[in-house]
Amino acid sequence: MKVVTGVVGNDIHVVANRLIDLSLQARGYEVFNLGVNTYLEEFFDAVIETGAEVLLISSLNGEAEGWGREVPRLKAKYKKLDDVIMMIGGNLVVGTGNAEDIIPRYKGYGFDIVCHQVDLNTGLDSLEEMLIERNLK
Amino acid sequence: MSLLQEEREIILNNEYVDTFDFAEVKEFITNASKDLFISHHFKKKAADKMLVQPRGGFPTYEKQYALYEFFVDANVDVLPLTIDSNTRLNDYGTAKKMLRLSEENDIDMLNGYPLVNHGYRTTRKMITHFNKPVSLRHGTPDARLLIETALASGIFEIEGGPITYLLPYSKNFPLDKAFLYWKYVERVCANYSDLNEPINRESFGPLTATLVPPSITIVIQLLEMLLSLEEGVKSFSVSFAQQGSMNQDIVTGAVLKKLAKHYAEEINCGDAMINLVYHQWMGAFPMNKDYAEQLINLATVIARMVSADKIITKTREEASGIPTKEANAKTVANTQYTLGILNGLPNVVDEEEEEILTLEVMAIMEAVFNDPADTLWRKVFNSIKNGIIDVPFSPHIINHNNMITIRDAKKNIRIIKRGNVPIPDRCYAYEKGQCDLTKDTTSIVNDIIHDIGIMQ
Repeated sequence: MKVVTGVVGNDIHVVANRLIDLSLQARGYEVFNLGVNTYLEEFFDAVIETGAEVLLISSLNGEAEGWGREVPRLKAKYKKLDDVIMMIGGNLVVGTGNAEDIIPRYKGYGFDIVCHQVDLNTGLDSLEEMLIERNLK
Repeated sequence: MSLLQEEREIILNNEYVDTFDFAEVKEFITNASKDLFISHHFKKKAADKMLVQPRGGFPTYEKQYALYEFFVDANVDVLPLTIDSNTRLNDYGTAKKMLRLSEENDIDMLNGYPLVNHGYRTTRKMITHFNKPVSLRHGTPDARLLIETALASGIFEIEGGPITYLLPYSKNFPLDKAFLYWKYVERVCANYSDLNEPINRESFGPLTATLVPPSITIVIQLLEMLLSLEEGVKSFSVSFAQQGSMNQDIVTGAVLKKLAKHYAEEINCGDAMINLVYHQWMGAFPMNKDYAEQLINLATVIARMVSADKIITKTREEASGIPTKEANAKTVANTQYTLGILNGLPNVVDEEEEEILTLEVMAIMEAVFNDPADTLWRKVFNSIKNGIIDVPFSPHIINHNNMITIRDAKKNIRIIKRGNVPIPDRCYAYEKGQCDLTKDTTSIVNDIIHDIGIMQ
């Protein structure tokens, strides 16, 4: 199972990104980590290039909010992305917000799994559940 | 005209710089007060007084001046000048705009002092007024214009280097360019060093401040020192930050000092003065401000145990944003007090740990020197590119990220996966032998998360 991951936007916070990479590898995924400061186009290009089944975007400084809005428009330009599981996690707003508002908003942007300030392992467990649900695992 | 001078004229012919008067700057440095040179203070350190230096930079001249007044009242030894993030990225246009907004609206729109925009004529008035050594703190890969402005202002200590100011701070600034830009800095510092007391260069040892093993820290300190000395710099400070285990800090300090002297002599630069700088905890800080003060105090004790020549302080407000000048000055006073009462400390030596660490550092250094490239900077560049040097948690694309570290039961940072770093087998077995590796990988990742936040 291939996963493309990275931190979206002008966000240099690398620690969690490295831990996501390690955890995914520990769970047996093949990881393509684009690292910090990654733009949406780069994520989608990497998914096409690697044939990844999962795209896991993270954000610490909260600027994912701004980028999330661009997802539907940009995704429509790419073919073959419809079956990709899209996941996003971290601090998903600048300042504070609550999960009840945030999750539906990001689902509206086209994300299948939304983890706002969720523990890393809990987040990755929900990815496993979705893979089983979709008969991918 | 030399090639360097030609390059200097191009760099200083910039729309954000008033006419740069090379002859006047040279004359200023030649006649500058000895008190402005930290190298002079290091030299006369007969009283065994560790120098205390806080952090801090504000956008406007007035606020920076007020900060210095607070520091002087708190009995500071070395003043800091921290530079804003736009200047660090050579974006002087944005810095100018934000400086004007800060001046007009009385709110800080920059996270530091935009030195290039203020210019050397203005800044020099402040520096010479306080007549204390000033240390330039930035994080700039291309610092040529910034350093020229700093030296002309009377700032005679320059922090940074091509590796330590790039690998922790940037994703894709080209590392080879950083080496060349820093070569320029070293040369300008070396040339000015002949005029009066030497200009001091300081490396930034904390790196990512996240589980960096001492062997990697020391190797990078030594390499930046060599790159600087080979250009003619005569006073250099190696540094590292509190790591989480007092014993490991003492061992690190001892090995770093011993090997710095050794490698400086290897390139016939044994006459250069090498100083040791210790950073109070650079990782995530506790939100509880009283706990933060305890952590800072512990760091001061360790700084004395490693016989640091200078300590760089943090504040009780570290976890909550850019510290106020009051908090900053309070730390300086507290640190001075602690240093004053720390008498009769025991001399701790751990020969086994020192031997292991020395072997690791020398093995990595040898691998760097054995790279077939023709110059040292190219050897170092190649060694980072091929993972012989690997910095945990660096965001830079050139860094391999294949080394994995964890804390043992005594909170020492240990290497449990060496990647391409040539850690000798015996040392590697020793490092892993200190850790419980029977756990599954998910538990180890959880341990790493815990270890990063250890002081919180």
